[in-house]
Amino acid sequence: MTGIRNQDETFGEPTAQATTAVTGRPPEQARTVGGRVRNVFRNLLISIPLLGLVVWTLAPFLVTLSVSLKDRAEVFAEPSLIPSSPSFSAYGEVLASQSFTTSFLNSLIVGVGTTLLTIAIGVPAAYAFARFNFRGRHLLLLFTLLPRLVPSLGIMVPIYRLAVAVGALDSRLTLIVVYTGMLLPLAVWLMVGFFQQIPREIEEAANVDGANLWGRLRYIVAPLAAPSMIMIGVLAFREAWNEFTLVLVLTSTPGKRTLPYELYLMQGIEGIANFPGEAAFTLLTVLPFVLIYTRVEKYVVAGLISGSGK
Amino acid sequence: MSTPTATTSPQASGSSRSRRRWWQRQEPPGKNESFVIGQSRAAPYLFSLPSILLVAAILGFPVLYGVWQSLFRRETLASDPEYVGFLNYTEMFSSDAFWHSLNRTAIFVFGSLVVGTTLGLFFAFALFRVVGKLRFLRAVTVAPYIISNVAAAVMFRILFNSQFGVLNEFLGWFGIDGPSWLANPDLAMVVVIFTQVWTDLPLTILLLLGGLMTIDKSYLDASLVDGATGWTRARHITIPLLAPQILISTVWLSYSTLTGLGVVLALTGGGPLKATQTMAMEMYTVAFRNLEFNQALAIATFILILNALLTLGYVAIGRRYEYEQ
Repeated sequence: MTGIRNQDETFGEPTAQATTAVTGRPPEQARTVGGRVRNVFRNLLISIPLLGLVVWTLAPFLVTLSVSLKDRAEVFAEPSLIPSSPSFSAYGEVLASQSFTTSFLNSLIVGVGTTLLTIAIGVPAAYAFARFNFRGRHLLLLFTLLPRLVPSLGIMVPIYRLAVAVGALDSRLTLIVVYTGMLLPLAVWLMVGFFQQIPREIEEAANVDGANLWGRLRYIVAPLAAPSMIMIGVLAFREAWNEFTLVLVLTSTPGKRTLPYELYLMQGIEGIANFPGEAAFTLLTVLPFVLIYTRVEKYVVAGLISGSGK
Repeated sequence: MSTPTATTSPQASGSSRSRRRWWQRQEPPGKNESFVIGQSRAAPYLFSLPSILLVAAILGFPVLYGVWQSLFRRETLASDPEYVGFLNYTEMFSSDAFWHSLNRTAIFVFGSLVVGTTLGLFFAFALFRVVGKLRFLRAVTVAPYIISNVAAAVMFRILFNSQFGVLNEFLGWFGIDGPSWLANPDLAMVVVIFTQVWTDLPLTILLLLGGLMTIDKSYLDASLVDGATGWTRARHITIPLLAPQILISTVWLSYSTLTGLGVVLALTGGGPLKATQTMAMEMYTVAFRNLEFNQALAIATFILILNALLTLGYVAIGRRYEYEQ
């Protein structure tokens, strides 16, 4: 629904009309000499802000990469961006540390768990909201506003107190359930849109052919909704992988924390700041998502646009 | 900037179909549509119940519980809560720490709005000219979105480091002696604002770019005939037509900064000298450093009310531009 469509519109091929409107003159003018000079000038004018965008976005990554390839003394001795003798020792150190390996595993479990649970609970609900007229459908409208009304900051203290009361601290399952609860409104809302785009007639035809509800879900709805489920999954995984506010209060013992929490602690624990270690840890935290990012990028973009209620 | 009312703005007559945007939530299908395909009457309840219950348990109940608990107080952590009415609130409103954090939040939100909207517009205009041509740029634009707040904070801490940071190195080329950014109370807020904007900018850019794509080209063409180009056109035609998207991204940035804790906590922890002690940080400090949970819940409730007002504004914007088309 809106997510995917939006993204196609946003980055679709420009029409000739659009080009004219943007450049302010018809394309033919580029063929004249004066037009060509003006073209070069205009291209320069366009590319400088774009270069600014690239620098703005990538500078923090590059600076971090640069520091991660130096050793502790070198960071201060040689502030140049390109390290004279790059080494991967900081990465080796981080990868060998218990804090990284356990929190990485925790993040992975929580991320995958949140993704699966969100899809398992959210998809049937979305189907019900999209296809059935039943009492309780009006709750769907509430779902659209809830994530905005209740930011994670708002439930940070009460959910901590409640978790203490029921003895649910320091548990990956708690994190999975809490993250799923936070993601569900958005996930359900998005899925309802997708399901509504699947023509009702297909299901009606299958119904006539004798397919029951389960059969229609299994052989018609699920395959058609698969791309949108991937989007929801990417959205859920990203949220669980990066979430910091709630994991900060819901876990306390080493071995139960996820990556952002461990990275946060790393800044404080080291007496003299271990900048290469922090930098390497940061990049290793980011890396798994960057690796799949190129594959799931359009889902990320779509999720970003439609998920801005987060 | 003059914001035209929707009735006078040209887009009021534009095609409503193409202008539908994600915040203009579609209404559920009307009752006249045939709904029941399945045979089972229980199916929709069975399907939707787990979601409804979980959302109620994770989002609904804690908020109500928190508001309720903000009317209580404990002498020590072990003692039983005692009903104190609005004491937590009256004490909150008479404490300097609260007003200080409100002031810091105002600066944080306003600064992020100015920096975020300016940069967002600048980059959206730049991207609009190459839209659809450079896939690489799209990937770059969205990159900060996949990073956690803590990772962004570490990166900016390295970037702004006073001893080896690239930024001060760069300033040194111009003979400027770079300051110690995070140790200076005024500059620390600047760093926090830029870090927060960095993490939020992908959405701002995409929202504004989406808005640019939907502007009816005939207005731009007409303005050209009238001789408007460059900045004049942006100022008088494009930006007013973008008003809905600018408003939406403004509300979204306010929401994100008002309720954002991760960046501030990981970057400065509220310091130096409480210069970046926003309300979110104040709530966190009162709750988890002072262990005064009930008092912290009063702050949390205050933030939730502010946020609800923002949400109202957001809904109002969505409705106004949806219905008046």
